[in-house]
Amino acid sequence: MKRSQRKKMYKILSYFLLTLIAIIIAFPFYWLIITSFKTYPEIYQYPLTYYPHTVTFEHFKEILRLGMGQYFVNSIIVSLGTSLLSLIIGIFPAYAFAKFSFRGEKSLLTSVLLFQMFPMVIFLLPMFNLLKNTGLINTHFGLMLSYLPFTTPITIVFLRSFFIEIPKSLEEAAMIDGCSLTQAFFKIIFPITLPGIASVGTYTFLFSWSELLYSMSLLLSKSKQTIPTFLSLFVGQYQTRWGPLFAGSFLATIPPLIVFIFLQRYFIKGLTSGSVKE
Amino acid sequence: MLKLSKTERTAYKMILPYVLIIVALIIILLSSNVYLSFIDDQGNLTFSNYVEVIKDPVFLIMLKNTVIWTIFSVAGQLLLGLLVAILLNQIKKGEVIYRSIILILPWATLDIVAGVTWKWMFNDMYGVINDLLMKFGFISDYISWLAYPNLALTAVIIANIWKGFSLSGLFFLAGLQAIPNQLYEAAEIDGANAFQKFTHITIPQLKPILTTTLMFTTIWTINYFPLIYTMTGGGPGYGTETFVTYIYRISFKFLDYNKAAALSNILFVIILFISLLYLRSLAKEDA
Repeated sequence: MKRSQRKKMYKILSYFLLTLIAIIIAFPFYWLIITSFKTYPEIYQYPLTYYPHTVTFEHFKEILRLGMGQYFVNSIIVSLGTSLLSLIIGIFPAYAFAKFSFRGEKSLLTSVLLFQMFPMVIFLLPMFNLLKNTGLINTHFGLMLSYLPFTTPITIVFLRSFFIEIPKSLEEAAMIDGCSLTQAFFKIIFPITLPGIASVGTYTFLFSWSELLYSMSLLLSKSKQTIPTFLSLFVGQYQTRWGPLFAGSFLATIPPLIVFIFLQRYFIKGLTSGSVKE
Repeated sequence: MLKLSKTERTAYKMILPYVLIIVALIIILLSSNVYLSFIDDQGNLTFSNYVEVIKDPVFLIMLKNTVIWTIFSVAGQLLLGLLVAILLNQIKKGEVIYRSIILILPWATLDIVAGVTWKWMFNDMYGVINDLLMKFGFISDYISWLAYPNLALTAVIIANIWKGFSLSGLFFLAGLQAIPNQLYEAAEIDGANAFQKFTHITIPQLKPILTTTLMFTTIWTINYFPLIYTMTGGGPGYGTETFVTYIYRISFKFLDYNKAAALSNILFVIILFISLLYLRSLAKEDA
């Protein structure tokens, strides 16, 4: 059959192109990993080596000696705090937007959609002043607070799309059985949407994990700073120390990578639904 | 008197924390910017901040850079994303592995990590990009990528396409998978070839998600800060300075808060304009 032959050809072509693209796309990451395992002479060796001829762990030891552990802990505190706070503030509005109609609903929902698009940099200076005046500058809580205008809207949009899919009959059935709305929410709705809650929580966690602009500007003392700031310190130096920088970069990327691979389906659903209305 | 129904009261109660914390915070921050932008060092009311930032020759340079950075990044990300999504949609076996490598890997990479990796790859002496270009015979001499404005801008755009195309890829893939197969089967019965199927089914069916992806990518690209900051810091000179890196430089390097506020407000109006345009087009599609 001619058509089935052509189909087969398309398939082979697709695999060929995908393999090619995969190699190109994965290359920077490959380069990051191998550089972190090369010895210094080999990093600056000519001609370039495309795999580490001598594998060394010196850069990993160095980055830990420089205190990456503390930055790691700080990053976890800030990221966990941010995603918890965004969930607490965002989950009820998301439910209200999904299930009730009320005056002002449209303009409030528009505000949520608009806030997602605001550039972080325009609020940096007023945020800095606000935190300074309230004494929250250089605190983890202050940084979390500064993230909320950006993480809460996405949390609301994300969760709303999960709530919309729950059939109304389910809550009604629960309420007929004598549950109050609050009980229905916590006993029926909450458990069903747990995957959605977990994934948007992870999403905002990773947002804070990667965020550079606010974290380096609002946390001033070394003992408070997070991983992106720590890594950025290497770049600012006159002579960039590529070895430890890449070892640290590699370590910092492992947690998000694992999470993204496992939760990608939920992320995509939540993100694409942000644009698609009812 | 405003009379509230029972559900309305419940709804408002649920929304209240969002309004009290997030909306209020954003209003405070925005008004702080407006206030700062209209006063001078002595606290007098003035328009000079706006006049001065617009008159500054850097304003046009960074505006031009922002436009180039946005157009080429967005075009590159959308095209690459579409290509990958179409290819991934063709295959079944190994789809997860290909998707994880091509779409998830760059997405999960921290912004700053992407920045330093590409900075090192574009290094003039020890950079692998020069080495590869040399090996394949495209260049005969090492190029100092990050030392010349145009080359540096090219370099950050390439890095940005790598970092950001996953999102369009994932959006398009979700869109493609939602197209009912019967449409293609019917077209095949009518004798349509692959190209006709693409232009008459795939593209029209993808159109809503195409608009969304275009708008999101455009706005995120304009707002995207860490990659340029890490790779070039806006340099050489002002060669890769965009709106966001310029605001950062004015605020935290030059410490000129009033001008930074004026610039922030200009950027805010631009972003607001694009966002409202988008929300209107969504509403139109709805109707």
